[in-house]
Amino acid sequence: MTLILNGLPPLHWALAGLGIAGVTLALLLIGSRRLGISTGFEDVCSLVLPAPYFRRPAVVSGRPWRLPLLCGLVLGGFLSAVLGGGWKPTWALGMFDTAIGLGPGGKLAWMFVAGLFIGFGTRLAGGCTSGHGIFGLANLERPSLITTLTFMAAGIVTTQVVYRVLFPLAGL
Amino acid sequence: MTAVYVVLGTIFGFILSRSGAADYDFIQGMFLFTNLQLYGIMGVAVLVGAPGIWLIKQRGRTLAGRKIDIELKPLHRGNISGGVLFGIGWSLAGMCPGPILVNIGEGKIYALAALAGALAGAGVFGTIYQRLQKPFALPALKVGTGEG
Repeated sequence: MTLILNGLPPLHWALAGLGIAGVTLALLLIGSRRLGISTGFEDVCSLVLPAPYFRRPAVVSGRPWRLPLLCGLVLGGFLSAVLGGGWKPTWALGMFDTAIGLGPGGKLAWMFVAGLFIGFGTRLAGGCTSGHGIFGLANLERPSLITTLTFMAAGIVTTQVVYRVLFPLAGL
Repeated sequence: MTAVYVVLGTIFGFILSRSGAADYDFIQGMFLFTNLQLYGIMGVAVLVGAPGIWLIKQRGRTLAGRKIDIELKPLHRGNISGGVLFGIGWSLAGMCPGPILVNIGEGKIYALAALAGALAGAGVFGTIYQRLQKPFALPALKVGTGEG
């Protein structure tokens, strides 16, 4: 199986896992920071929204390190494309295109709704794949085990329903 | 220090991009059990991260000598209800929060809509936090649901 990005072959899973562990440990050893990306959404919200939730010290004090980290993620994706066959804007969405073939407008609507679930859900759960699934599990935190098992199960059920029921029905 | 965090984010983003963690097909393959790449990645990251975190906490200091001080995530009902909502979103988008940003960098246009949705979702959550506190047994406003 190859990546949607320029049909590149993926890194070996063990190497990728080691690299992610390395970044996690570097954040802790250099900055006493726990890896976590979804709180970054709150940091961005806190730049414009006045609600008391976004004025919390935990959010405001995290901005000087988390916002640069988030910018780095965008840059990392960009470099990956540039160094791996070239960067160009694309709508390609792999097996989604094969199964349902929505146009640009449909994809934007689909992704916006999915994003709402991601933004609201991760903040209600107190973290995402990185904060709960990587750091929280590695730090043996019980809330992270509960949350990770829950979002993995919900993802499995959703994809099974979408690809084994919903899309086949839509294609009839 | 800002540059250090940009560099670490860039390395993290590059790995997510090239490993399949930011790839719609690999995410669906994980949830369909047709491709186990991402289980391997998460497993190695956790198994290597766990002793590493333990050792750094034993040391107790950052490289610059500052005290290591991280907040543990609180346990509350939002762990499960939020986990369900996030799992649905992860499956639909084929991206979790980090990979949304990585995909934007790669040039995948639809990822911008996922980011807009995620920011709107987080914005609504924070705005109505006090109303969610009781039904979801969420921690005090000062604590929040958990950083990360």
